[in-house]
Amino acid sequence: MARLELDSVTKRFGDGPDAVVAVDDVNVDIADGEFLVLVGPSGCGKSTTLRMVAGLETVTDGEVRLDGTRINERGPAERDIAMVFQSYALYPHMTVRGNMRFGLEESTDLDDEAIDERVEETAAMLDITELLDRKPGALSGGQRQRVALGRAIVREPAAFLMDEPLSNLDAKLRSQMRTELQQLQNDLDTTTVYVTHDQTEAMTMGDRIAILDAGELQQVATPLEAYHRPANRFVAGFIGEPSMNFVETTVEDGALTAGEGLVYPLAGDAADAVAGASAVTLGVRPEDVRVSADGDPADVASEHVFDATVDVVEPMGNENVVHLTLPNGPDLTATVDGLRQIADGTDARVGIPAKAIHLFDRDSGEALHNRSLDDAEMDAPNV
Amino acid sequence: MSRVDDLRGTLAAVDRSRAALYAVLFAMVAFYLAPLESGLATSIKTEAGFRATTPYAPPPLGEFTLAAWQVAFDRLSQGLINSLLMAIPATVLSALLGSLSAYGLTNLDWRGQTGVLVLFVAGVFLPYQSVLVPLRQFWSAVDLPSLIPLGFVGSYEGLITLSLTHAAYGIPICTVLFRSYYATLDEEMIEAARLDGASAATIYRRIVLPLSVPIFAVTLIYQFTQVWNDLLFAIVLVTDPSNQVVTVALNQLQGSFVNQYNLQMAGAFVAALPTLVVYVLFGEQFAKGVAGES
Repeated sequence: MARLELDSVTKRFGDGPDAVVAVDDVNVDIADGEFLVLVGPSGCGKSTTLRMVAGLETVTDGEVRLDGTRINERGPAERDIAMVFQSYALYPHMTVRGNMRFGLEESTDLDDEAIDERVEETAAMLDITELLDRKPGALSGGQRQRVALGRAIVREPAAFLMDEPLSNLDAKLRSQMRTELQQLQNDLDTTTVYVTHDQTEAMTMGDRIAILDAGELQQVATPLEAYHRPANRFVAGFIGEPSMNFVETTVEDGALTAGEGLVYPLAGDAADAVAGASAVTLGVRPEDVRVSADGDPADVASEHVFDATVDVVEPMGNENVVHLTLPNGPDLTATVDGLRQIADGTDARVGIPAKAIHLFDRDSGEALHNRSLDDAEMDAPNV
Repeated sequence: MSRVDDLRGTLAAVDRSRAALYAVLFAMVAFYLAPLESGLATSIKTEAGFRATTPYAPPPLGEFTLAAWQVAFDRLSQGLINSLLMAIPATVLSALLGSLSAYGLTNLDWRGQTGVLVLFVAGVFLPYQSVLVPLRQFWSAVDLPSLIPLGFVGSYEGLITLSLTHAAYGIPICTVLFRSYYATLDEEMIEAARLDGASAATIYRRIVLPLSVPIFAVTLIYQFTQVWNDLLFAIVLVTDPSNQVVTVALNQLQGSFVNQYNLQMAGAFVAALPTLVVYVLFGEQFAKGVAGES
């Protein structure tokens, strides 16, 4: 049980002007028992951040604190932290039992009996009791994954660190393990930092997610907050699949303009938000884009409806992903119900509801205005 | 019928290319094994026999004898024992030390390790001839029996000197061999062990060493063969005839007046037997190590 704080943590590789800044001034405060997902594209510094917490990398600047105590100078063995690696990193010459015992033998004074008991208990919890006397080479990917988890759990550490632990599993097993991991973390209630590049894992697993890009922290928020109230254009584009539509526009006479095909009048909060700005990016999630083959979409004001051509339809079963082109305007992606028939190459009318739009400053990428949540249902989280 | 003919034609073509392939392979094998066969044939001939026939021909009737083998065994047996006493510790020592230094240079992180590695690599390319004089002077300056006050040291001084020299000169190549293997070990596995609370020494003992069996086989075979076959250091460093190793003894089988080829050939086989045994013993692990399996 522990609270983990990253205070202005910075990692530079190399010295002087050639130094590469891998992690730049990251501040995160992870509460006791919280599940924090660190997410971002490859090379964004998320693994480096995790390795600094583990003690496998030195911290160039800033402080890592565990329960208020600075742990920068402690070796990995002295941090009371367990880590699950992407490659599982099991010891191939030891049995599963040996793998799970190793950490207890090296880091505690428990006698053999107590160690055996802990290993048996953990194995039972993970349902790997029958694998205890096998070697890792004789296990499937999913089983190895469980053993790697078991090896971390059996030590009962103050915090778990997980570095893309599910990325070597096939899709089906991955979604199953996702649920199981969440369940496990709930039961154990141990502070967990989970690194992934998969935005689905980030959305579904974490209490909060921290989005990193190019070593800089973009936003720390609950998954839904990051989805509906992105701090900037990067977060808006990274979270959500298919990703948000972005249209580069200029502000003219209170309307967003992107060629002749898209002139989008603004009103209310949105209009106030762009006052003084001239270059604005319009963002709208594909599920908010209304597509209608005959006539205008019903629930969108007529000034926010445009002509479009359907380029490609990707049927996903539960939904269709529709790629549209606005004549003399931008391309848009929309998702519509899976049972709706839309043919490639047909003309359609496209509506962008005013309450669903996000606006970003084109230079800085900062969010100027986020969608309205007025019509969110009562059981929706309070964001 | 035509399909059968076609098939026959194809088979004939395949047969011809196969036959050619086997002929070439057989010729290469024969070429490669001819010296061995000649040696073996000569070693089982009488003196009259090897004078009367070509070397690769089998012994003529009545000229077959194992006497040369017997004499070779008798005259080389002390050398064989001495060589084993010298080569086994030298091999084990250089493999163990090579493994340790490779671990330190590969899996641990410290300042200046590249410089140290360069020294090891330079050691691999050091020609033995270039160190003969300083080596001789070094061992003349060292008084082993008083350095190691154990009873047997005095009578085996030459062998101990030779063994230690080979151990030292074997470390660089062993380090390079182990290093290439340790570089393939999963780094995350070592990190996992560090997080599990293991010290560098414990990681070596409990993780790295048990995973090194295949590369130990490679190194032991290679190093044993090197040490066993050495003649140069043995001639220069060992003066006491009772400490003579097998390569030196084999060299002395050469008669000063008459060349007893049968005795020399039998002696060569006797002297080579232990290295053959080592290959057979560690063959499977050797193959694994060469293939880079862990």
